[in-house]
Parts: sequence; structure tokens; C-alpha cells
Amino acid sequence: MAIGILLALLGGAFVCLQNTFNANVKKRVSVWSTTALVLLLGFLASLAAGLAFEGTGLFRFQAQPWFWFSGILGVGVVACVTQGVQILGPSRAISLIMVSQIFFGLMWDTLGWFGLETVPFTWQSLLGVLLISGGVLLFQLGPKLEQPERNRKSVGVRKSVKG
Amino acid sequence: MKGTIFALAGGFFLTFQSVANATISDSIGTWQAATMTQFTGFVLALLIVVLLRDQTYQNLTQVPLLYASGGMLAAVVLYSNMTAVHRMGVTLTIGIFLIAQLITAVLIDGKGWFDMTKQKIGRTQIAGLALMIAGVIVLKW
Repeated sequence: MAIGILLALLGGAFVCLQNTFNANVKKRVSVWSTTALVLLLGFLASLAAGLAFEGTGLFRFQAQPWFWFSGILGVGVVACVTQGVQILGPSRAISLIMVSQIFFGLMWDTLGWFGLETVPFTWQSLLGVLLISGGVLLFQLGPKLEQPERNRKSVGVRKSVKG
Repeated sequence: MKGTIFALAGGFFLTFQSVANATISDSIGTWQAATMTQFTGFVLALLIVVLLRDQTYQNLTQVPLLYASGGMLAAVVLYSNMTAVHRMGVTLTIGIFLIAQLITAVLIDGKGWFDMTKQKIGRTQIAGLALMIAGVIVLKW
């Protein structure tokens, strides 16, 4: 458990760092070229780490056919997030994306689709998810409510996109 | 309305991605899964770049190397995400990921690091983070 929490904290911090770096790339390069670059480097880094930790054992695996289509999900993320941000603006889009993410997480834990181990649904976990969602909304939209004139762009100019 | 649907679908895809990655890593190993999902994603993104006849990658030379190499951080992100999902389920993993993301955003924006416009961090943001942490505690109690 403690390791899981620490890894999630580290991972989340890196997501934000990566989004910050990507935002600087997108000042000059289009969304899709940036995405291609980011995934290429992610691939190379994972390949290097895999080779370092497992040697050529990295290439000995039996993939089910659908594994080869996993990349579609990443492309779906980029397409939907980009559209959402364009239409709604960053703060509102990102708060909705994060809320949607955590509710789908609860749904998935409950249903255990795709061979995921089920985590039984409790009203307490729903309360937890509601609190987290409330926190996200307050974080992203609070500054707008506080200073509707001055502080339009605020911290909300952030993407929640993962890898 | 359309924007809302895109945003909700974006959240769905993000969660689906975490779950799929965790499932794939369960079956073939964590680094295998990371390498494979990044590779297939890259091929697809490259295809889109070619189809759109997108030439903006030529501007990459004007981007500082540090920013251009951000993609490499994915190795750490994917490893932590898959391992965390295995150990504590999707909901808790996402909850803690979001908190860490926003705390880092507060740091970067508050200090104006990495060419981000420096921004004042408001009370609502600190309150929002506190609420999220309370949510994670309730979730796990």
C-alpha cells in the first residue's frame, strides 16, 4: 500500500512535469507532431529501461491480439482532450476531464472489466470520489469565481493528460 | 454540450488507458507493456501526422532540448501507474495521481518555473487540494 501511494505521488508529479514540457513544445509544434514525438521518446525510454532491467527477456512475451491496439487509447485521449480544451477553455475542460476520470475509475473498480481485480463498491468510496471531485472543481474553477475579471487564465491552464 | 462530451470522453479514455496498461502488464510484464503501448501509440500518431501533412515538426529545432525530451518521463509515469493500479485499484491510484499533479502544478506555476507564466496561488486552490486529500482518506479509511 505505502509503495503504491508513493509511486502514485511520483507518477502524478511526473505527469505534470511532462505536461509542462509538452506545453512548451506545443508553442512551436502542432498537437499531433508533439504527440508523436512524446510517444516516440516514451517508447525509447521504456525500451531502454526494459533492456536494462530484463535484458533480451524483454522480447519474450505472448501478447493477445488486442494489446497491439492499445495505442488507440492514447490517441483517443489526445483527440478528446484537445477538442474539449478548445471548446470549453482549459480550466473547465480539465476539471471535467479529471472528474470524469475518477468516476470512471470507481466504475471500473466496481465492475472489474478487462481482467481488473474488483474492488467492491461502498458508499464510503462514492463519498471519497465526490470529495475528490469537489476538490478538483474548487481548484480549477475557484480562481475564476474569486476574480472573474483579472485572473482569467489562472492555474487551470493545465492538461491532465497521462503519457 | 459538445465540449462537455469531449471532456468526459477524454476522462474515460484516460481511465481506460490506465486499466488497459495494468491488464497488459499483468499478462506480459510492466516494461513490455510500457514499450508496446508507447510503440503502438507512436505508430498511430505518426500516421495522423502523415495524413494531415503536418510539417510543424520542423520547428522542433527551436524548442529547448529539455522540453523536447519530456516524452522520456513516460517511462516513470507508466511504471508507477501500472504498479499503483495493481496494488490499490484504479480509483485510489487516480485520486493520488490527481493530487500529485495539482501540487506540482501549484509549485511550477507559483514559481514560474520552466517558462510557465508565474501565477499567484489562491486560497481556493489550497482548499481544493485539502478537499481532495480528505477524499483520498475517506476512500481508503
